[in-house]
Amino acid sequence: MAQIEIRNLHKTFKDDPVLKGLSLSVERGEIVTLFGPSGTGKTVLLRLLAGIYPPDAGTISLRGRDASGSPPDKRGIGMAFQNFALFPHMTARENIASALTARKTNAGEISRKVEAVAQLLKIGHVLGHSPRELSNGQKQRTALARALVADPDILLLDDPLRNVDAKLRYEMRLELPALLKRVGSTVLYVTQDFKEAMALGDRVAVLLDGQIAQCDTPARIYAEPVNVGVARLFGDPTLNLIGVAPQLVDGAPEIRLGGSRIRLPAGYSTAAGGRYLLGLRPETLRLVEAPAPGTVAVELVAVTPLNEKSVLLLTMQGGEELLASEAGDRDEPRRTGPAHVAIDRDALLLFERESGRRFIPAENGEVAHERIAITSHR
Amino acid sequence: MSASLSLRTVDKIYHPRGRSAVHAVKALSMDVERGEIVALLGSSGCGKTSTLRMVAGFEAVSAGEISLANRRIERLAPAARNVAMAFEGYSLYPPLTVRENIAFALKRGRLSASEVSRRVQEVAALVEIEPILDRYPNAISGGQQQRASLARALVRDAALYVLDEPMGQLEPQLRAVLRGRLKRLLKDRAMTSIFVTHDQTEANALADRIAVMEGGVLQQFAPQHVLKEKPANLYVATFIGEPPMNVFDASVVRDAGRTTFELDNGPSFGFGDNELAPEVRQAIGNRRKVVIGVRPHRVALGNGSAETARVISNQWLGDQSHIAMAVAGKLLVAVSHARVRAAIGESVPYGVRAQDLHIFDSDTTVALAHGARAA
Amino acid sequence: MDRSSIVERILRAVLLTLIVIFFLFPIVWILLMSFQTNEQILRIPPSLSFVPTLDNYKALISGHLLTSAGSLDIAFMRNLGNSVLLSTCAVVLALILGVPAAYAFARFKFWLSEDIAFTLLSFRFAPPLLVLLPLSLYFQELGLVDTYAGLIWVYQLIALPLILWIVRGYFEDISPDIENAYRIAGHSWLRTFFKIAVPLAGPGIAAAGLLSFIFCWNNFVFALVLASADKQPVTVGALAFVTASGIQYGQVAAAIVLSVTPTLLLALYAQRWLVEGLSLGAVKG
Repeated sequence: MAQIEIRNLHKTFKDDPVLKGLSLSVERGEIVTLFGPSGTGKTVLLRLLAGIYPPDAGTISLRGRDASGSPPDKRGIGMAFQNFALFPHMTARENIASALTARKTNAGEISRKVEAVAQLLKIGHVLGHSPRELSNGQKQRTALARALVADPDILLLDDPLRNVDAKLRYEMRLELPALLKRVGSTVLYVTQDFKEAMALGDRVAVLLDGQIAQCDTPARIYAEPVNVGVARLFGDPTLNLIGVAPQLVDGAPEIRLGGSRIRLPAGYSTAAGGRYLLGLRPETLRLVEAPAPGTVAVELVAVTPLNEKSVLLLTMQGGEELLASEAGDRDEPRRTGPAHVAIDRDALLLFERESGRRFIPAENGEVAHERIAITSHR
Repeated sequence: MSASLSLRTVDKIYHPRGRSAVHAVKALSMDVERGEIVALLGSSGCGKTSTLRMVAGFEAVSAGEISLANRRIERLAPAARNVAMAFEGYSLYPPLTVRENIAFALKRGRLSASEVSRRVQEVAALVEIEPILDRYPNAISGGQQQRASLARALVRDAALYVLDEPMGQLEPQLRAVLRGRLKRLLKDRAMTSIFVTHDQTEANALADRIAVMEGGVLQQFAPQHVLKEKPANLYVATFIGEPPMNVFDASVVRDAGRTTFELDNGPSFGFGDNELAPEVRQAIGNRRKVVIGVRPHRVALGNGSAETARVISNQWLGDQSHIAMAVAGKLLVAVSHARVRAAIGESVPYGVRAQDLHIFDSDTTVALAHGARAA
Repeated sequence: MDRSSIVERILRAVLLTLIVIFFLFPIVWILLMSFQTNEQILRIPPSLSFVPTLDNYKALISGHLLTSAGSLDIAFMRNLGNSVLLSTCAVVLALILGVPAAYAFARFKFWLSEDIAFTLLSFRFAPPLLVLLPLSLYFQELGLVDTYAGLIWVYQLIALPLILWIVRGYFEDISPDIENAYRIAGHSWLRTFFKIAVPLAGPGIAAAGLLSFIFCWNNFVFALVLASADKQPVTVGALAFVTASGIQYGQVAAAIVLSVTPTLLLALYAQRWLVEGLSLGAVKG
């Protein structure tokens, strides 16, 4: 029995259908990150789970019981909002304690629990301040403390790190998973940053077009995206997409790329004759010294050094652009001019042109059948 | 002498009612060359926006001078400065369509209607707002408003372009695309520009030089690779880079041909005189305490290292692993471009090389040495 | 920005002084009149130097007016008491009714809510004279003429729209997430209303209450038509100074000073809130 079970949820706001039949299951103790572009309904989903407003259609079950008809104060969940939503006329201590004062806990117990969670989040020294006097980082941790203090078994975190500056954000990204696991709640964490989604989640649920397009482990989402929409959301820089038409040449599948012929692994044989988009992640493209089978002649047009890597802008014969990224530092910067790039055959992705679905190569000569990634369409 | 924009010991002090004065910008001096793109980078409250607003004329200068193309401008009204600005808060005129808003910026110049129209179309194509040119500001999204505001600044001919977080509301994909186009436009037309951002990737991608600010003070003003390889002080070192540089307080022990850094509450790293360059040793001098730093990408993981540490988290981000280990009571982050099979709680060996060390003075936090060279 | 020149600054000061004199002059004059006898007031030419007297105030407070035609009973202090009673009760009732209503309008967008809200607001704009005649007929039938209850009820026409208008704006300004957070923390919506919404809208409620008090206090027409002698507030009570033996300017002036002082002091005390409360309505987007 899943801790959170969402089936076929629909919600429309002002003639805009935000959720169109969304389904998702979250197991007890799991951390699932909810990821997708802005405006796609992630916050709406959390509010529906919290009971702030009802869905237009579909069901929500919490702990195995239907939650519809249950008002927010009776759902027993902890929630942290993007904009903190701290009570401005109360101190940090009172803010956190508000999650306990509703249940008949005595004052001593409340005080003890508030102190404990404040110690955990390192805000013990600012408990007496009003929200106005706290920095953004402290506000964020106070909001989190408020969500955690009653030991809720279900936690909803709506992009709580969004308004926090980059350095603190990174630190929290390292500390949060351990913290959440220690508390042991079932967590649904919304974020717009794919790195955060991958770093924090046991599974990542990608929300696209009002539905969960894919819900999988971070590694699988990155390496085996179910369609091009999902693939595009992960990776920085975003992956290259080039139109190709695989052909069988001497029994093996091949594509033409920038004037070169690249042989694909045998599992792509059944793709021959169709129209596809070739997905190449920038970090899988390597610049090599000399042409060889599996390389493409390019012109290195620009090098953008970022802090941990360099982004190379390449153009192939025919003018199409490719972005490659190179890790770390080089002793001398690359010079623009003609070059060759090697395509990693095992890391490439192929997507059907019309539907955007990923073509799954057959293994060991067997016909490929749709591997059902752990989506919610059970 | 081709400096176009020049700031000389500019100060900005705010006097909010009922509270003590806020010294937002302290004695800032910097020169921007003609055609250069400069980024003001820093966390919120560091003074970058105040500086920008002083350059554009929306804040008075408390002290100091600002010159543009050899003309003193700090006392002039914004309209008299020949500066084009794109605001963080969009600020489009509600009764005009997007097209009219952008064209409004050209009203002062004597351009023919067809030329105005052509320029508006061109800049709209650049920021991809052509489909909404005839809509009103209240009917478009925040991201579109921001792009329209940017277009309105770029369409003008000005001596300086001032952009306040020009792409803050846009999604990462769109930002990356627009950044490339924006850079090309600015470079092709040799448009001198200065922009504010808190996003390092944006600063790196767009700017020729980056001015890092903190607490109203200019920390360092240099191209990206200098900031990364030779940060002037601890603030710049730990601000630049994601993940930021790992820093630790350490005691220095010199012993017959060997220098050892003993981390407070942590392990020690010793280097023979053949590893630690003489000028570095000289830069350290007689100091007993220093701060040492090493970039996450330079932490060596794996066998062959003397020290081990317990893994606190191991996150795979698709093209790199971030591994955090408990060292000296803090977290040491290492980045690897391969997947690292280390479970939480496991002990892994790690090491640092002398050439990857950055050394800072404990009290002044000024950099002493980077790798094999003195700072 | 200190860009204005000396000339501009002098001009500004002169202009401001003229405006202040223009507005304050009647009040100062009346204050002076209240310390003068009738003869001094009516002297020609009018003079600024005089021997102050407290006779006018004594007459008001004691309730006896000495005129050339004899002694008159003045019920001024009773009128003052009526004003206090009527205004206070009206405002308290309007707050009890209006604050929850404002919350409902702010938070629950039910069918026709905008139309209903606008209609209620429009009562403020309608001139009282419009409803006076029908009202007086109804009041007679209901037996509400010349009762405190009747007047307090009618005063809702003045106080309620104001409270609704101002307080709704304050409630709308509270981010719904703050209330949601309190609900999710386990509290019922009623508790959320009292512990979160009302305290956070406090300044607005106070401003609205203060303003309503001032407007109720100043009302003339309703009290004139719907109440008689012993229930009348100061606004109507001032008419009593138009006597058969002439207008007792001195007492009128003293009566005015006594009538105006409470609300003036209240407004001065709470001026910051008043400005905030009023401008909020204007600036809402």
